[in-house]
This record gives sequence, structure tokens and C-alpha cells, in this order.
Amino acid sequence: MFDQLLIGGLATGCIYAVVGLGFTLVYRTLRMVNFAQGQVFMVGAFLGLSIAQRVHLPVLPLLFVVGAVAFALGMVLERLVFRRLYHNHEVFVVGSIGLGIVLTNAVRVFFPEPVPFPKVFGSHVVQIGTARFQEAYFWVVVSTLVLVVLLHAMFAYTRGGRALRAVAADAEIAGTVGVNVNRAIALTFGLSFAVAAIAGVLIGPLYFVSFDMGDMVGLKAFSAAVFGGINSIPGTILGGLVIGVLENLAGGYISSAYKDLVAFVILLIMLIWRPTGLLGRDTPVKV
Amino acid sequence: MTTSEVLRRWWVGAAVLAALLAFPAFAPRYIVHIANFILIYTLPVIGLGFLTGFTGRVSLAQGALFGVGAYTTALLTTKFGWTPIATFFPSVLMTVVLAVALGGAAVRLAGLYFVMATIGIQQIVWIVLMNWIDLTNGPQGVRSIPAIGLGDYRLETPQKFYFLTLAVAVISYILAKRVIGSRLGLYLRALSDDQLAASSVAVEVGRAKVTALALSAAWAGAGGFLYAHYVRYVHPDMFGLEASVLYLVMSMFGGYRSIAGMVLATGLLESATEYLRPFGEFRMIAYGMILLLGMMFFPKGILTIVRRRTSARTAGKT
Amino acid sequence: MKMQKLVRAVGVAGCIAMAIPAVAQDIKLGVVAGMSGPGTSYGIGIKQGAEMAVKEINAAGGVKGRKIALVIVDDASNPAQSVTSMERLVNEPVDLVVGGWGSSQVLANMDVAERAGLPYIVVGATNPKITTDKNKWTFRVIFTDAVQAEQIADAAVKRLGMKRIAVIHDANDYGVGNRDVFLASLKKIGVEPVAVVSYQSADKDFTAQLSRIREANPDGVAIFGTIPAAPAIMNQARDLGIKARFIGTGGLANENLMTLAPKASEGTVLTTYFHEDADAQAKAWADRYVKEFSGSSQPPRPVLAAWEYRAIKYIAAPCLESSGTNKDKLRQCIASWKGNLFSVPGEAYFDKTGQLIQQSVLVEVGKGAFQAFKGK
Repeated sequence: MFDQLLIGGLATGCIYAVVGLGFTLVYRTLRMVNFAQGQVFMVGAFLGLSIAQRVHLPVLPLLFVVGAVAFALGMVLERLVFRRLYHNHEVFVVGSIGLGIVLTNAVRVFFPEPVPFPKVFGSHVVQIGTARFQEAYFWVVVSTLVLVVLLHAMFAYTRGGRALRAVAADAEIAGTVGVNVNRAIALTFGLSFAVAAIAGVLIGPLYFVSFDMGDMVGLKAFSAAVFGGINSIPGTILGGLVIGVLENLAGGYISSAYKDLVAFVILLIMLIWRPTGLLGRDTPVKV
Repeated sequence: MTTSEVLRRWWVGAAVLAALLAFPAFAPRYIVHIANFILIYTLPVIGLGFLTGFTGRVSLAQGALFGVGAYTTALLTTKFGWTPIATFFPSVLMTVVLAVALGGAAVRLAGLYFVMATIGIQQIVWIVLMNWIDLTNGPQGVRSIPAIGLGDYRLETPQKFYFLTLAVAVISYILAKRVIGSRLGLYLRALSDDQLAASSVAVEVGRAKVTALALSAAWAGAGGFLYAHYVRYVHPDMFGLEASVLYLVMSMFGGYRSIAGMVLATGLLESATEYLRPFGEFRMIAYGMILLLGMMFFPKGILTIVRRRTSARTAGKT
Repeated sequence: MKMQKLVRAVGVAGCIAMAIPAVAQDIKLGVVAGMSGPGTSYGIGIKQGAEMAVKEINAAGGVKGRKIALVIVDDASNPAQSVTSMERLVNEPVDLVVGGWGSSQVLANMDVAERAGLPYIVVGATNPKITTDKNKWTFRVIFTDAVQAEQIADAAVKRLGMKRIAVIHDANDYGVGNRDVFLASLKKIGVEPVAVVSYQSADKDFTAQLSRIREANPDGVAIFGTIPAAPAIMNQARDLGIKARFIGTGGLANENLMTLAPKASEGTVLTTYFHEDADAQAKAWADRYVKEFSGSSQPPRPVLAAWEYRAIKYIAAPCLESSGTNKDKLRQCIASWKGNLFSVPGEAYFDKTGQLIQQSVLVEVGKGAFQAFKGK
């Protein structure tokens, strides 16, 4: 049973990690948390569904297209909506929650019932030891790895990526050396949306897609990001994987009823003990 | 304030009070029912005000705390046969104790981290309410909660209950204003403005924050008590994240530091579920839009429209 | 504060404006169900059943010349809103209520009906606690979990020959209620379950629960839950290599089960509330129903519509004919009602707790559809 739980946990953990990345990216740049992140993930899944149902695209182009559309959406929403919410944390929190509610219910109008997602990763069942799982699980883990490597490369080696890091570190100074801060923020949002949407497509074939699939995932990805360090990308990834595996193990060995508790207890304990998370760096927070 | 202004305020207040008292006599039962909900909800919303408006901390756990108050009285009255009036104090106490136990350590966290912690608290309490079946009946909820009453007289109809909720709402409003106006209130406001400066003038920062938390929990617990004896059925889903968001929104729409504003916002948003009915399937989209647009255009609360107009008027007068 | 008064005045005016434009001597029939929340497809089914029945009754001249006007209130499948919805119906006032979906909602709103002395026929909630010796005005036509879980336990052991049964159930009132009765029934027959696990309604991944079940090596898996968890559980169970047959009760009686788990659901045996193959009249009704509502935004779901329709046409309307709208007489009429309903084998009648006693229908999933169960 252990291997089954471990592998299942790694796959869900990857999803938490990737969605959590969205939270982290926005937080690093703006010090704000976008609570519509879970719903963006859900929208991404439906976007993927709509495209996959009409056009027979292989996986990579599908992910790319969904990512691109979500990226554009993120930039547009930043300009139209998020920009007006920067007053303070509370306003941003409630505003983004409102956006999340709009997204959930807008999708619900078109898709009131859960829908199966086309098996874009194939439907072969793989066996490793005593664990049996759909091959899609395997692809989720691989895709996450690839995504993380790509992101790292972008941030470390491209000019655009370094500009984003500069803005995250200190927007004022970045502005004085010629970085277009507004555009960097917009790009960050676009990236956070793209990443969440891609996660949505990755998880689509594993479960059904439904308008409420973003709620719990959003909350747990958030816990993962805080746990690993909401201003640290590797921390968020680690946090996602740990929470995914731990909650599965707890659900299997202790009690399936309290499985959800794991993520939130970890969240609370981490915040009290070490708010910057496992791998987070201490950024001077205004008191 | 001039004498005429004081008198005018007095007259307005008396007129409003008279209208509120006479209300159930001419309003349909169902409207009184909604009014009861509005009045009950002002409690957790004002409670949030202590944290948000006055110490700058956002809590998304108020729904859960409201639930703790409701469940405490529900269980004491149905499982142990206590009479409702006797459970008021224990319900409030339980809520405060739980809030301080879970959140006490978190209050020292900076703004956004505190929000995160309260989300954790909210979810943990909800999950426990839902799954600790031996204690709370879990998803079946607790039903047949008795009505509040003295001897044989019971507050069983919306109209009768209305007077209780009105009384409690008024008392809590006055009490809240008193607290804010007191020395403690001064400390709390100082905290929200500038924590560093506040500590430099010997404001016991840590203790003030925990007190604010305790106050918000007390108000939430009291509200939960009323709710349980009005709806007479409690279920974990009534006290989830959506409820917390609702209270927070009501508190923010009212604007910082304006208790009257919060009361107004509560009224508007609670009746929203009713006047949004014509939207049919799109009801929730409309609700989400209200939240979003409200935050985008009135981040300091809706009363700012009123304030802007009156300040413009008085500006003109000078 | 002045603004608050204004707001309240506007609220009152608004509500009066929204009242259904019914003629004075119309009979008002209230319907409450969730039509904009989690249970939307069920709520819409109830609404459609009501509309169909009332249309037919009114077309045939109404009840002693009076037409029936429907007052439909959406409670978004939320218990607190359901209380408000019932208050609204009491306020209208309606003469009786036929509807209600979701045990949490009904447990909450029935108290309002009881206190107001309003006859209430429940069609969509199966928790046993709804009909006990405490309710005077509330009746229920749909089976309780108690009946269904007991019948499936019996069928599992005696007709399907299962010896090692595992149970996976939703942590909500539906799942817990079913589980309790199922386990008690198994115990009476002398069988112990090999595993009992639970999940949250919104869960998508059941690896943890199913791994435990797989360890226990069952020959039958009872699923007490609804869509979309149930088909997800079935799919994932098959992926994990669990080959046991699935059994369950009414929560699985939804066509989406086959849409979402086309292969995994084959062979599932469950008790259900309605099946069009049970008798000719049922088939005729089902055909009419599908034809009338196939154009709407939601695909027609006959199961709950059937109950709403039958409750109005064969129970409420005849009682309105014989007893008028006097609430006490209505109540007595319903309490002493007995008769035949399509798709229900034999005669049905209300017992003293207000529950309609009837035989259930066993169906099996075969070739992507529900078929009457015929032995193994």
C-alpha cells in the first residue's frame, strides 16, 4: 500500500506545487496573495477540455496553447482588475476572492455537471511493485519537472527573467535601472495564470473536471506555498510534494476522514513556528 | 456640536428606534425573518471590526468562530438539557478560549501571514465539526435546538425573536463604541496606524493584539448563540469559508472604523441573497461581481460615498 | 441609520413586486429545492416534475374548478437559505409544500413547516431522521436510506453471494446514514465488512481510501455517495486493480454514473426510486417527460421528477379535491392515503411517522444504462 500512496501523493503533490507556484510568483513581486489562483487552475482545465474536444491536439501543443491563452488572460486581468486592488492586503484578498467566485459560477453556467476529460496522456495502466496507476500520473510528474527546469532557466539566464527577479527583489531600484516595472508585474501575473492553467490540463485526465475543482486545490496549494516558503520557488515545489504525499499517507494509514486536515495543520504550525517557510528567506516585512 | 445638532441627532435616533420597534407590526413575517438575520450577523461583523479596522488584521476565521458559539449552545441544550439562557456565557467563553488557543500565537504575525493562519484555523475547525461525529453529529447536524425563553414564554416566531436580536444588536453596538472609545481602543487604533511607534510609547503590543482577537471571538460567539436558537438547526456547512468571507466583506464594505457602516453593509449584503433572486442561475456571479467591483471602486467602504458628499457640503459651507 | 430604513423599505417593496401573480382563488402549491447550487440537476428535476403535473391538472379543469399556482423557491442547496425559503412559502401563504432536496436542507426547513402547521410532502431527502414520531405535518414519499441500505445489504449477501464487502462512503449525512443502516443490516445477517472508509464530498482523489480497500481483498464494494465522487471511485478502483462488483443505493441512480464511468460502472447493482421499465405506465410517463423537457439547459433526470410528479398528481391533488385547502383536513387525508403509483410494485401507504411504505426497485448497470435486475 505504501508505494501506491506514495506515487499517488507525488502526482497530487506536483499539482499543488505548480498551482502553488502561481501564488509564489505573485507574492514575490507584489507581496499580495491572489486567492483566485485555484479558480484559474480550474479555468485552465476547462480551456484544455474545450480545445481537446474540438481539435485533436497532441499533449505538448495543447499545454502550450492553454498556457498561452491563460498568460494573455492574466495580463489582461492584471491591467483591468488587479491593478485596482493594490491598496492593501485586505482589499486584494477580498477582491481576488470575488473574482474567484465570478469565475467558478461563470463556468458553472456552461458546465453544471462534471465532465470527463479526454485521455490525452493515453490510458495505459502501469504497474510498479504493488502500485498500479494510470500512465497519466507519470506524465504529471515529468511535466512538472520540465516546467520547473524551464522556469528556472528563464529566471536565471534570460533578460526578461532577471528583470522579473529584480522587480521581485526591489521594485523601486529595479525601476531606476530601467526595468519597466508595470510590465514586469503584468508578465508575472501572466506567468502565474499560465502555470496554474497548465496544471489544470495536467490533472484533467486523472479526474473529471468540474467547476468546483479549484476550491480545495487552491487552498492546499496555498498551504504548500506557505509551508515551503511563499517567496521561494524551490520551497513551494518542495511544499507541494510534501503535502501531497503526507496527506495521502495520513489518509491511508490513519484516517481518510481527516485527510484534509494535514494541509491546514501544517500551514498553521509552519506559520507559528517559521512564517517564511522551510526554504523562505527573511524579507524585511513592514511592521 | 451645537445644541440644535445634538437635539437633531436625538430626534433622528428616537425616530429610528421607534421605526425599528414598530417594524414587525407592519412588515410581512418573511421580511422580519431577514431582518433577524441581518441583526444577528452584525455581531460577527462588528467583531471583525476590532481586528480589521482597529488593528489592521484580516481574519478569515470568523465563520468558524461563529460556528463554535452556535455548536456550543446547540450541544449543551440538546445533549445536556441546559436551558438556553444558561448557555450564553459558556458559548461566548468557549469561542474566546478556542480563538486564543489556536490564534493567540498567530496574532504576532505580520498582516498577510495572519490571514493565512486564520484560513488554517477556519479549515481546521470546519473539518473537525464535520468529522468528529461523536461530538457534533457531523454532517447530520444538530436539530431541534430549543428556543430561548423564560418559563413558558418562548421566542418561537420571527416577530418575537426580533426584539431579542434588536436588543442584542443595539447593546453590542453601544458596547463596541464604548470599547473603541476607551483606553484599550486607543491602543488598538495606535497599533493599526503604526505598530513600531505604538510600542515605543509603551503600548503593550502583544497583549493588545490578543485582546482584540478575544473581543472579535466574543462577538462571534454571541452571534452564533443567537443563530443557533433562531434557526434551531446547525450544520458545519453554515460555518465554512464562505461565511468567513461574507463577514469579512460586510466588515470591509462598511469601511474601517465605522461601526454604523458595517451595520449598513451587513443589511445590504444579507438581503442580497433575496434581491438577487431575479438573476436566477446568475445569482452567484452577481454576488461575486459585487465583491469584486466593491473592492475595486470602494476600497475604503461604501460609506465613503456618503462621506464625500457630506464633506463636500460642509466644505461649501465654510 | 436613515439609509438603513430606506434599504428596508426598498426591500419590502421589492418582495411584494416579486410575488407570483396568482388569481385570488388559485390553490398555491409551494416547491422548495436547490436550483443554483450543488444539487442543481436534482432541483431542476423536481421543478420539471411539478410543472408537468400542474400543467396536466390545470388542463383537465384544475381542482374543483380552481387552478393550481406553483410557487417555486430556490434554496441553493444551503440549509440556512432553505429555512428562509420555507419562511417565504409560509409567508405567501401556500396551501401546502411538495418538494425539498437534500437531507440537510429538509432537516432544517421542516421545522419551519411544522411550527407553521403547513402540510409538507418531502420528495428528495432520504435521511431517516426526517420522519419519526416527532413530525406531524411532514410526510415523505421517497424511500429512506434505512430501507434502501437494508435492501441492498440483503441483496448483496443473499442474491449476489457476497462475503467480503468493503464500504466506502461520503462523510455527509447521506453517506453516513446509509453506512450505519447497511452495517447494522449486515450484522443481522451475520456478515462483517472487511473495510470501512470515508471521503469528503468534494474529494477527487481516492487513492488513499482505495488502497486500504484493496488490501482487504473484497468481493463486493458498497459505495454510498453521489455524483461525481461515485464514478470517480469506480474508475480509480478499477485502475488500482480492484475487480469486485459495486453496489449502492439511490445516490448512484443518476445517468451521469454511466457517462463518467462507462466501463467501471458495468455490473453495478443498486436500489433506486424509479425505473421506467418497472411497468408500462412508468415507461409512458418517462417518454412524455423526456419529450417535454429535452430542450432545456439541463438534460432531463426522471428519478426525482417522477417523485414530484406522482406526489402532486396522485396524492396532493386528490386530497385537495376531497378536503379543500383546510390544512388540518389535508394533513389527515394525506396520512390516510393509500394507493398505486407507477413504477412502485404493489400498493403504497403512509405509516404513522409519515413515511410512504413501498417496495423498492433493484437495477443493474448494463450496456451503459440502468436495467431491471433479474437475479445474478
